[in-house]
Amino acid sequence: MTRLTKKNSGVIRQFDIKSLNVRIGYYFLLLISLILVLIAVIPIVWIFLSSFKTLSEFVNEPSFLPHKFSFNDFVNTWKVLKFWKYYVNSFYSVIGSAICAVIFNGLLAYSISKVRPKGSNLIYTLILWSLMLPPTTAIVPLFININKVGLQGTFIPLWLSMGANAFFVILYKQFFDSIPQSLIEAARLDGSSELGIFFRIILPLSTPINAVIVIYAINAAWSDFLLPYLVLNNTGKETVMVRLFQFRTSIATDVDIIRAIVFSIIPPIILFGIFQKYIMEGISKTGIKG
Amino acid sequence: MNSFNKVLNKSTKMLTKRDIAGLIIMLPSLVLFSFFVWVPLLESVHLSFYIAHGMRFIKFVGLENYATIFKDPDFMAALLNTFSYTLWSLVIGFFVPIIMAIILNEIIHFKGFFRVGIYLPNVIPGLAVAMMWRFIFKPSDTGMLNIILKNFGIQPQVWLADPKLTIPLIVVTMTWRGAGATTLLYLAGLQGIDPELYEAAAIDGANIWKRIWHITVPNIYNLARTLLILQIIAVFQVLYEPLVMTNGGPNNASISLMQLVYKYAFEKFDYPKASAVSVVISLFLIFFTFLYNKIIREKEM
Repeated sequence: MTRLTKKNSGVIRQFDIKSLNVRIGYYFLLLISLILVLIAVIPIVWIFLSSFKTLSEFVNEPSFLPHKFSFNDFVNTWKVLKFWKYYVNSFYSVIGSAICAVIFNGLLAYSISKVRPKGSNLIYTLILWSLMLPPTTAIVPLFININKVGLQGTFIPLWLSMGANAFFVILYKQFFDSIPQSLIEAARLDGSSELGIFFRIILPLSTPINAVIVIYAINAAWSDFLLPYLVLNNTGKETVMVRLFQFRTSIATDVDIIRAIVFSIIPPIILFGIFQKYIMEGISKTGIKG
Repeated sequence: MNSFNKVLNKSTKMLTKRDIAGLIIMLPSLVLFSFFVWVPLLESVHLSFYIAHGMRFIKFVGLENYATIFKDPDFMAALLNTFSYTLWSLVIGFFVPIIMAIILNEIIHFKGFFRVGIYLPNVIPGLAVAMMWRFIFKPSDTGMLNIILKNFGIQPQVWLADPKLTIPLIVVTMTWRGAGATTLLYLAGLQGIDPELYEAAAIDGANIWKRIWHITVPNIYNLARTLLILQIIAVFQVLYEPLVMTNGGPNNASISLMQLVYKYAFEKFDYPKASAVSVVISLFLIFFTFLYNKIIREKEM
């Protein structure tokens, strides 16, 4: 247990702690923090608890807890909604997106950072600008173009779109800038091609940043629904998020929808549980919220 | 033509083997950036000047699409609402993470628990959050908030169905999801402040409030400014929260500009008018970015 008198960080200093008012104030702040965590967590707990309720329970009884925790209903909804299929589809989308995110953004950043051909400054400026100009406003022409090149109904546009992410390029470039140029010059003297240097030297050296990018890409691919909806709706390749979005226009009971929401948030929560430390460090280091 | 060839020859000669190799490995990524980001942005502008049948351009009509959308009563509602979203998100969303970070930075008990706890909502996909909160705001007495109110003896509220409350409540939902992650960014900034500064200020007789005002606030000012503009840009494109939670209702009380794009494009299949609204959004965003840069430069001078 940390002793309050040992406090050596923040605005309140050790000598302030001697005052009773400050000590009371500190425990008041502790209480507020606890309330903040409750506000963050209770809605999630409530949605999990509600997913165990039956429809009549959910519609008629104003209580937090379900009568009983029956996994049978849960499994039934899973089967009726054929959720396994959507999990598999999301899995395809996520894997391809993560690979594209690493290779394409990495290659571009490597070239800008270490090869520096003529024009790379201009290209980097363009990429910085695309951060400010949001791609969602251009969703209509993008949708039309995807149809024109005949990629609708496939995962390909979803995978490739993750390969054009300005944030990822900037993160990679900042990391590559810290790799010593001499390492690359040595490889060039040995006759390695630029592509060879990238795959055999740069990528293996970049495990920390690769991990951050892969986690963010997985999260983004799992959560994205507008482009997947436009490209994959009614093709049998709908992802979990697309299925969730379909509830907007299809008929379903509240309980079915709540269970589907729970199915859709379990994988990201598990992912967070495993990589929690990486993700939280990534935020403070990179300044990106994912 | 001859001189053009000379220039061309000269510039290809100036490209070294390494330049060419560098450009070649960039090429696939540049094609992707063009296809997914740059070309669609330009094409929105182009498309907004035409009449189209589905995906075929029929006829150039100049600014006619813009004239039509400006006359659409939905547009005025969406424009005002979008500003209302932005304003509310400044009132609610901007200050909450700053205050949370300043509080959490003082806490020395269960540090990790508090950080993970407040970050947890950010793990849940945005669409799932919007759908979840529709049930939390359910107007009958079995919605989560009404269950809580009942324990305090308060009558069930209609929440999102009240046009005055719709936008602030949607902003609350967005803040619930985003605030924890933003707090971590501010916390990283707060941890960068040299503790000596506080000690020195205290010796000079500054009480706790004065230390916050004169040391903490100036030190996170730049970060706050950057996050503010990013927040405005993000909130200005709010789409799926109103789409899923209220479908723009009640009576257009929460329809946003991006939602209008969605409505024109994927419900009425009128792509040029959708593009015209997109262009209007982009113009606002460019204006905000410009304003932001101008303010920064004046401050630095």
